[in-house]
Amino acid sequence: MMLALLLVAAQVGTDPRLDRLDPDTRAQVATVMDSASRVGLPTEPLIQRALEGATKAAPGARIVAAVRRLSADLGVARTALGTEASVPELEAGVAALRAGAKPQVLANLRSVRRHPLTMALSVLADLVANGVPLDSAAAAVLALAPKARDADLVEFRRAVERDIALGAPPGAATSVRVNVGATDVFAGLHNPGAPPPPPRRP
Amino acid sequence: MFEHEEDVVQRVVQQLRRPVAIDPALDARVMQAIAKPEPPARSIWPWLAAAAVLVSLIIWRPWSRSAEAESATFQFVLVAPQATSVSLVGDFNDWDPKRSPMRTANGIWATVVQLAPGRYRYAYLVNGAEWRADPGAPTVPPPDDEFGKPSSVVTVGGKGS
Repeated sequence: MMLALLLVAAQVGTDPRLDRLDPDTRAQVATVMDSASRVGLPTEPLIQRALEGATKAAPGARIVAAVRRLSADLGVARTALGTEASVPELEAGVAALRAGAKPQVLANLRSVRRHPLTMALSVLADLVANGVPLDSAAAAVLALAPKARDADLVEFRRAVERDIALGAPPGAATSVRVNVGATDVFAGLHNPGAPPPPPRRP
Repeated sequence: MFEHEEDVVQRVVQQLRRPVAIDPALDARVMQAIAKPEPPARSIWPWLAAAAVLVSLIIWRPWSRSAEAESATFQFVLVAPQATSVSLVGDFNDWDPKRSPMRTANGIWATVVQLAPGRYRYAYLVNGAEWRADPGAPTVPPPDDEFGKPSSVVTVGGKGS
């Protein structure tokens, strides 16, 4: 009886999108969200992770573990990036942390880049996922971060991916693109008078 | 018959010389009226200022400007000639297969989505059962993939940054 009451109490105020979860999982996810909310962490990423698990028909325990882990990582990212960090920055920060970046790398990026860090952190995570050694990826992004625009960073990532696909060692491809190709890669990207671009590809 | 002019003047003078009876409470009422604070002046300027701000907001629409200015249109494409249905699911549509069904032309499935700046995980759900990552986008790496089914990542940057 008490357990049922606790479950009902936990469900009060739960996001209706979480109705796709079974009651027990929903209650546990709601508890994690409540804890996150109490310390000022965003809950929308937690909801999306739970919904991803639900749509992918993952077991409830795995969904709860994923949400709990994400909440903890969001806390680490916020500590590194500062309390003013936006939700997209925190999510990208989590991706970078999970790619192996130390919190100090996130803090360094914050100190050198005036613009939002979402793209820089994301490119760092994506480079590592593509096989670029963490140190090379972090050094490259830190070198580009002070001046590169988000579009520049995307183009840099694509250029490295192309080089890797053509057979270049990931670390070498990254270094080459940073040291030599930066001006070439970024040339012609900024044209304020250009017509609206067609839909982009991810 | 007309009165003599001097008699008329005398009568007027007598009338003017009669003492005027004054309400004894008059002094108190006057002092009360003086001491009473005046109601605040109903100036039109605050209303005009508020109206100007409101009109400016309606014209400028900062609440929609930020989202419109920063969001970007993305086209998601999957080549799946054998598929009978493909849905795009991700962080941007609550992982709901019904929200972003894809249209096909000769086995090329596509849909267009408006995305605000951020990092999004997504995947293609083929025939309602088979999960596929986007071959043209970064894949969620194993340490970040808790559910054992492939996903991709798209990051939307700010236009001004």
